Amino acid sequence: MTCTLGEVKNRADFIVYWGGNPAECHPRHFTKYTLTQKGKFVPRGRKDRTMVLVDIRETPSAKAADIFLQIKPTKDFEVLTILRALLKNQTVDRELAAETGLTLEQLQDLVDRMKSARFGVIFFGMGISMTRGKHMNSAAILTLVAELNAFTKFVAMPMRGHGNVTGADVVMRWTTGYPFGVNLCRGYPRYNPGEFSTVDLLVRGDVDAALILGADPGATMPQPAIDHLARIPTIVLDPKVTHTSRLARVHITTAVTGISATGTVYRMDEIPLPLRPALKSPYPTDEEVIRRVSKAVEKKMALSTASNGITMRA
Amino acid sequence: MAEKRFIMNAGRTTKQGQQINVGKDHAAYQAIVSTVTMNPEDMKALGITQGGTIRVKSECGEANFLCQEGKVPEGMLFVPYGPPTCHLMGQKTDGTGMPTSKGWEVEVEPVAAEGSETLK
Repeated sequence: MTCTLGEVKNRADFIVYWGGNPAECHPRHFTKYTLTQKGKFVPRGRKDRTMVLVDIRETPSAKAADIFLQIKPTKDFEVLTILRALLKNQTVDRELAAETGLTLEQLQDLVDRMKSARFGVIFFGMGISMTRGKHMNSAAILTLVAELNAFTKFVAMPMRGHGNVTGADVVMRWTTGYPFGVNLCRGYPRYNPGEFSTVDLLVRGDVDAALILGADPGATMPQPAIDHLARIPTIVLDPKVTHTSRLARVHITTAVTGISATGTVYRMDEIPLPLRPALKSPYPTDEEVIRRVSKAVEKKMALSTASNGITMRA
Repeated sequence: MAEKRFIMNAGRTTKQGQQINVGKDHAAYQAIVSTVTMNPEDMKALGITQGGTIRVKSECGEANFLCQEGKVPEGMLFVPYGPPTCHLMGQKTDGTGMPTSKGWEVEVEPVAAEGSETLK
């Protein structure tokens, strides 16, 4: 039920942004893929497309929208459930609908527009996945989109944030079978968000060492998780000094991927893009550092196992 | 002292994103992530002046912010996320791996400026 951004550019005539603010957070999204580009089946570009923004506050993205629907905070799940009910021609209580911040007419209009679209897409942001309801909100969007496919072609795509978070998920998936929250302690991958996910492990104080690559949890995670990172030996690989590098025992400065180091970045639609560095860096790449650390650990383990008389399994 | 419950949303802004790349040690970044946007009517009701300091308390912690009026609905606060919001955000992930990073219920109270004893 998803697609590439190229398909959106060439086909989408009905675009919904839900719980996201692309004008500020993904500033090239409108112009490169979703709104202003002329596509094969939307030859007039913006004139052939309708954009709806659903959010709890009027962000700068509202200026680009044809329709802005301001819902009440934490009512995303309710709105999505009402849309699903209306899609199936079920009766919805007018007063209950009004509790979401929208009128029944607005919701019915949205459903009618979705059904009559030729190719619709819902881009959902962190207003969906980081508020109360979290994965249930995301599941409600995916279910609505699945059900819309009884009427027309409809897809959904998360508005991934930061550089290459999609890449981390994709690589974890094809190496372990799971996107995140993977525990390899038993020698095989186990997946359990809430138990093996980073925030949970750190808040509970379950880990006694941490290696941080290209992230700054010291400025973004809950305070108890940050406090635990400061207690344990934390190693940071980052081109810059960050809040995390300041609390770490070791900070290795690395080259900036895409500027002075080669690599692959995954776009939010999971299309891999090769990066060609424009500058040279005196610093090693993340990959180089990890390989060297790994070799040093292997050497040390071989030494210690030899002295212990323990045979390592391949 | 006046105290009222609000929904607080931490999010991203263009300026915050630019400053992250300039450097998080810069005063500009610190100012961005320490400034809350509030509805003008709410500010009036709580006796908070433009640029005044407020104390925001969630069930997980508290932090002080500067306050500016802006286009947010009544009963809501918006702040670009950063080190101060780490003190307020949820610590449980509800089995998802994702802490509650938006939509916290918070209490807001004005903080008296140094030297002044009372606030309206």
